[in-house]
Amino acid sequence: MVTSPVKLWRRQKNTATLIGKKGKILQWTIIRVPAKSFIDQAPYPVVIVKMQNGENMIGQLVDWQQKDLIIGREVVSVLRRLRTEQEEDVIYYNIKFRPL
Amino acid sequence: MKISILGVAATKFGELWSVSPRVLAKEAMNNALKQSGLKAGDIDALFVGNMLSEILGNQANLGSLLVEELGVQIPAFRIEGACASGGLALHNAINSIKSGQYKTVLVLGIEKMTDHSQDEITNALMAAGSDEERMAGATFPGVYALMAQAYMKQYKVSEEELASVSVKNHYHGTLNPKAQFQFSISVADVMKSAKIADPLKLLDCSPISDGAAAVVITGENIIKKVRKPIQIVASEVGTDTLSLCDRKSFTSLLAVIDASTKAYKKAGLRPSDIDVAEIHDCFSISEAIATEDLGFSKKGEGAKDIAKGKRTLFKGDIICNPSGGLKACGHPVGATGIKQIVEITEQLRGVAGKRQVENARIGLTHNVGGSGAVAAIHILRI
Repeated sequence: MVTSPVKLWRRQKNTATLIGKKGKILQWTIIRVPAKSFIDQAPYPVVIVKMQNGENMIGQLVDWQQKDLIIGREVVSVLRRLRTEQEEDVIYYNIKFRPL
Repeated sequence: MKISILGVAATKFGELWSVSPRVLAKEAMNNALKQSGLKAGDIDALFVGNMLSEILGNQANLGSLLVEELGVQIPAFRIEGACASGGLALHNAINSIKSGQYKTVLVLGIEKMTDHSQDEITNALMAAGSDEERMAGATFPGVYALMAQAYMKQYKVSEEELASVSVKNHYHGTLNPKAQFQFSISVADVMKSAKIADPLKLLDCSPISDGAAAVVITGENIIKKVRKPIQIVASEVGTDTLSLCDRKSFTSLLAVIDASTKAYKKAGLRPSDIDVAEIHDCFSISEAIATEDLGFSKKGEGAKDIAKGKRTLFKGDIICNPSGGLKACGHPVGATGIKQIVEITEQLRGVAGKRQVENARIGLTHNVGGSGAVAAIHILRI
């Protein structure tokens, strides 16, 4: 399904405010059987992060090694291309996390 | 007002490539009607529980579609609450009777999933999650895997102990001729099955299934008509945040605690009064947590109690998932909540055959949508 460009445009204002925020891994898993648009990235970790402001966020972990998958590991939010789009789709950038 | 069950029916669950949703629905509805001794013309309304019809089949307007198969033009509604769609449809059907609008209604749960590829289904099921979870690349097993990680660490539970949930439910499935999987598996089989989302493996996960189930309920006094009337003495629903990460606890589902606490109170019962329960074991971790949230086991001991056999047919105290549960009986998502009612009704009537729980008089169904964003609890008794 093609994502509405209007929805992406509406979201990007908020996304920009979330870049460069630090937090710690609260829980992690490795997704080995993903949805179609994430297939070329699998396997990849998904983490719940306790942010410094106290909020929890869920996101994909990038630039990772096995040793990064521990509770308490410090991470920072970065802007990355989200997934593989269909030909007619707008390229979607979103927040992911990178080990610090 | 007393709500009584007049008739129940479920189709075979599994990969049913040769039948259409219409055919599945018709079989379940007609058999439930036949058992109730009623005709379609005696039914005041139809409630349909279904999750994925628009996403997978491009078909909305399910109430009108499926009432065609009944051959009468009565009010018909489709209720959606992810994998709890069946339980929510029944809850709404009961409320429609209690309101005085209808006297006798038919409730159908249906899903047709195996016509589609695994990645299409993975994508479709994530409609039950939040935008943030989808954007994180999380899958449904992935979200439950996060709960499993938290649970195993907090309560020092092993992957083998979690695997015992699937082993038990497959054993029960061998005794159910309608189950999708009617073969046994061992803890070792679960451990060596392919990883889906760590620590969950293929055999920790319920399958993709087709199936339908139907139940006829009434508010009329039917004690004289039916020899062994089964009553629904509580029907309660709870909700929680859509995203797992917005919750205080990852090892307990507040929607289940809320709905079951209300249900026990309405029924005047305690958890220890339950003889048999159908649990929403979409993943092994789900049943472990459910048995704690429902008060059958102490916090942190749900998986350990299952591993010890406390929920197993012919040896446990509160028997969970005699049908084989979602894991072995199958999980056509919209049908599951109604299939649970069918199973408990057969158990309380004493007609469950080889999987009969001895002296079952009080039963409970636990139907969950999303990662615990909604739960429907029903308590039945003879």
